[in-house]
Amino acid sequence: MAGRKLALKAIDWIAFGEIIPPNQKAVANSLKAWSEALTSRLAVLPEAPPAIDWAYYKANVATAGLVDDFEKKFKALKIPVPEDKFTALVDAEEKEDVKTCAEFVSLSKTRIEEYEKQVVRMRNIIPFDQMTLDDLNEVFPETKLDKTKYPYWPHRPIESL
Amino acid sequence: MLSRVVLSAAATEAPALKNAALLGPGALQTARIFHTGQPSLAPVPPLPEYGGKVRFGLIPEEFFQFLYPKTGVTGPYMLGTGLILYFLSKEIYVVTAEMFSSIATIGLLIYGIKKYGPSVAEFADKLNEDKLAKLEEAKQASIKSIQDAIDMEKAQQALVQKRHYLFDVQRNNIAMSLEVTYRERLHRVYREVKNRLDYHISVQNVARRKEQEHMISWVEKSVVQSISAQQERETIAKCIQDLQLLAKKAQAQPVM
Repeated sequence: MAGRKLALKAIDWIAFGEIIPPNQKAVANSLKAWSEALTSRLAVLPEAPPAIDWAYYKANVATAGLVDDFEKKFKALKIPVPEDKFTALVDAEEKEDVKTCAEFVSLSKTRIEEYEKQVVRMRNIIPFDQMTLDDLNEVFPETKLDKTKYPYWPHRPIESL
Repeated sequence: MLSRVVLSAAATEAPALKNAALLGPGALQTARIFHTGQPSLAPVPPLPEYGGKVRFGLIPEEFFQFLYPKTGVTGPYMLGTGLILYFLSKEIYVVTAEMFSSIATIGLLIYGIKKYGPSVAEFADKLNEDKLAKLEEAKQASIKSIQDAIDMEKAQQALVQKRHYLFDVQRNNIAMSLEVTYRERLHRVYREVKNRLDYHISVQNVARRKEQEHMISWVEKSVVQSISAQQERETIAKCIQDLQLLAKKAQAQPVM
């Protein structure tokens, strides 16, 4: 009846706030509010109700057998522990999330490698005053003038000058 | 002069080298036959910014150095003066009207260049430097944006470590709500049973009190009824007698 251990994990609320994207702040706040409300309710309720003084009632209730009957039924009554249908869902969600996070991390790592390669390339270009226009077009391909699309000088739309 | 020969040779070779670099490796093999120096594919060395030194804007310095061991400092000047006088006197160079117009024109040009040359050169250099500065800025901005992207990716990766808090909160909430429901049920059962028992007891108490009161009132009524009028008169007379006795006794006491 009583004496179940409640295993609660300690939550770092700051970290929790960090991982929420800005468009889901409302949901996160409601989660936090629920958590606090439940903690306060839990604190108010003692773990088990006080014991009923059967001797007193047996002595004082005139109807014979009523108290005995009650006592028997009360002791036989087992209150069902509410069944936990939802932790499984949360666990499944967490597993999926771990998978997507691992995917994201690996993609992110490849992205970081590409970025680092670009940074190295940028750092190693020759100084600008020793470049020719061909070298410039190699480093910054967007500076290459399109001579097929604009065959006449200045090889780009006049508005962009 | 020799250095300038080398430089001009390098300049003429340099475009050829660049073109060779642009051709494929197969084409380079066939072009290799015509190159005598080693075909260096390294980046072209920067071209010198200033040409060789010249005197009078025409005669390179190396000529003076060439003549210095034999004729000293004034040698080339003497050679020049002698040559000019020779051309004039032998009429190899004919004096015409154009000579004076060319003297005036060239004099004016030299005056103009000497006076305004440096400032114009500065202006042109500044234009060039502005272009270079813009390109440099673009390069730095590009590097910085890539670095920022890298940092953001790293931050996101760090956040991934904290994702589990989300699910911890949900699991905690579920566990807490289950526990709260269970405890509330326990308390409710206790309350209901106690209420029922207390109800019985209070019903009993009420019944007993009612019986008591009823019995008392009934007993009183019956006693009062049983006192007939005769007995009442006798009782009252006896009471008066007793009172009178008591009064006498009471009066007697203080006298003593």
